[in-house]
Amino acid sequence: MSRSIQYTSSPLLASRTPVWRSKFVVGAIALAFFGLAARAAYIQVVANDFFQRQGEVRFARTLDLPANRGRILDRNGLILASSVPAPSIWAIPEDVDMDKAQMQRLAKLLEMPTADLAKKLDDEDKTFVWIKRQVDADVAKQIAELNLKGIYQRKEYKRKYPEGEAAAHIVGFTNVEDNGQEGVELMFNKTLLGRPGMRHVIKDRLGRAVEDVGEVIPPVDGQDLQLSIDSKIQFFAYQKLRDAVLVNRAHAGSVVVLDAITGEVLALANYPSYVPDKRKNLTGEQLRNRALTDTFEPGSVMKPFTVGLALNKGRVKPSTVIDTAPGSVTIGGATIHDSHAHGALTVEQVIQVSSNVGTAKIAMQMPASDMWETFSQAGFGQKPQIEFPGVVSGRLRPAKTWRPIEQATISYGYGLSASLFQMARSYTVFSHDGQIIPATLLKNSTPAQGVSVFSPATAAEVRHMLQMAAGPGGTGPKAQTIGYSVGGKSGTAYKQVGKGYGSDGNRKYRSWFVGMAPIDSPRVIVAVMLDEPSAGKYFGGEVAAPVFSETVQQTLRMLGVQPDMAVRPQIVATAVEESF
Amino acid sequence: MIRLNLVLLLAVMASAVYLVSVQYESRRVFTELDRARSESRRLEAEYERLQVEKRGQATPARVEKLAREKLQMRQASPAITHYVTYSGSAGADAAKGETP
Repeated sequence: MSRSIQYTSSPLLASRTPVWRSKFVVGAIALAFFGLAARAAYIQVVANDFFQRQGEVRFARTLDLPANRGRILDRNGLILASSVPAPSIWAIPEDVDMDKAQMQRLAKLLEMPTADLAKKLDDEDKTFVWIKRQVDADVAKQIAELNLKGIYQRKEYKRKYPEGEAAAHIVGFTNVEDNGQEGVELMFNKTLLGRPGMRHVIKDRLGRAVEDVGEVIPPVDGQDLQLSIDSKIQFFAYQKLRDAVLVNRAHAGSVVVLDAITGEVLALANYPSYVPDKRKNLTGEQLRNRALTDTFEPGSVMKPFTVGLALNKGRVKPSTVIDTAPGSVTIGGATIHDSHAHGALTVEQVIQVSSNVGTAKIAMQMPASDMWETFSQAGFGQKPQIEFPGVVSGRLRPAKTWRPIEQATISYGYGLSASLFQMARSYTVFSHDGQIIPATLLKNSTPAQGVSVFSPATAAEVRHMLQMAAGPGGTGPKAQTIGYSVGGKSGTAYKQVGKGYGSDGNRKYRSWFVGMAPIDSPRVIVAVMLDEPSAGKYFGGEVAAPVFSETVQQTLRMLGVQPDMAVRPQIVATAVEESF
Repeated sequence: MIRLNLVLLLAVMASAVYLVSVQYESRRVFTELDRARSESRRLEAEYERLQVEKRGQATPARVEKLAREKLQMRQASPAITHYVTYSGSAGADAAKGETP
């Protein structure tokens, strides 16, 4: 009896079950529980990470929070570049099931031939095809309304440039990945980009986010960038330049407008230009920012520096007489000429009529190193400190290597090279009381701190000479403009054709004008350059000076500068009697 | 004792049901918030787009063209501008009839 377990007190029901059997059952159940416990421990403790991860993969999602690219604004806060939503259209060719009419409507909305669209959707093996990237928001909306199977949209952003071609060279553009490729977009790419954020969420069956997990890293939007450009001045400068390039059948042209007080670039335009939103068939010619990347011999524009140096050192006075007869001078075996022989000229007149001989004679009184120093201080041969990609420094050889004839030619601007922008900036020496000031593309309303090159008195004397040069009897009277006194220097140079400067029949020219207004206390410096004008006229004073005149007129008006010269009013002030 | 346990059991059950409903509600509200946020982002982007479009309609190039062609306007020059000086004493000047 002891060998069995008693389940009941009734002897009738007593079964003779061996004890080991019930022990076995208890043991088996205990073992099963132990197995469960072990499994639970395995899941909860040992392999916890793995299961946690597997779970997360099924419901947790990491969402990128894109940062907006900063806007580019002009000095008045008007938009020059901004990102707008532009969805990209893509498809899964296998799922696409369109009839002909639908296909045609889609193709029409996308502005692409139906055949092209059909071709893109032809390859059924592919699981992803871009149909068109970055379409306008309106078009995307209409496509969404068509409700086509297998056609999807992806949220993307696109840069818009409302100013179009007028400001294209300054602002530049971005590529489809939103990275700057040219201009300010490239130079300040980092500032504009911002930093994308991130968040982890739990999604439900329907793909809705139901819970944030952990910390949300908010996106940091790119900073807005305010340029010194005034979009109105920029437009007018571009317009006048374009007209002049077309009228003179020139190859290209550039214009630079600088604020003479703060050193800000108010406008910088080149022609030919391009529309930044439509960049198909873009050529290098259109892309080049000539004002900053093309260098040429500055010619007569340099003469005021040579004369300024002589005045500053006390070698000459504005009234000192220089004999330029017979219109040529021989230095070290080489002869230099004036285009017209002038005889005896005062220093003022040397600048006014732009005499090479007179300038050379003044230059030969001074050591070459002094000239080199002054020109370098004025920024020639130095890389301009401006925030822009591809800026060139031009060329000014060290004074030690100058032969006497070279010193003479360099004094009137041959044998060195500079960009139009460098020339414009160098003239701040005259406009800013003898100080060269740094130029900037960013808005900055405080007067710039300059480095002194000449004394204020010298700067004023040279300004007077520049005014004479742009006046009657000077080389650039067409630079004058109604109401404002102007001063400036024109330049014309033969372009190198092959090895030389070309023979009489096929000479190519470059013409430019650099000047400032109003002359007594200059507000703006304007530099204009036309490349290969070929409609007959080619002197800087005839081709570039009119652009200067119109640009100065518009710019000063827009800056609200009151005319400093008497104007014969043409206001019709006769009132008509009212009749009752 | 049993009664207390029963009460506690009921309390636990009620709390569990309430927890589920709160969780559900919170997820629903969260989804709504999320949707509202993305709507706000969309509207912001739309606003920006319209701003750019407005700017595009008011570029100097277009204004100039319309002024010239549609309104027959022309560029002002100092010759047809009457300049007045404005200062604190402008009123006094005008009273004396001194217009510069």
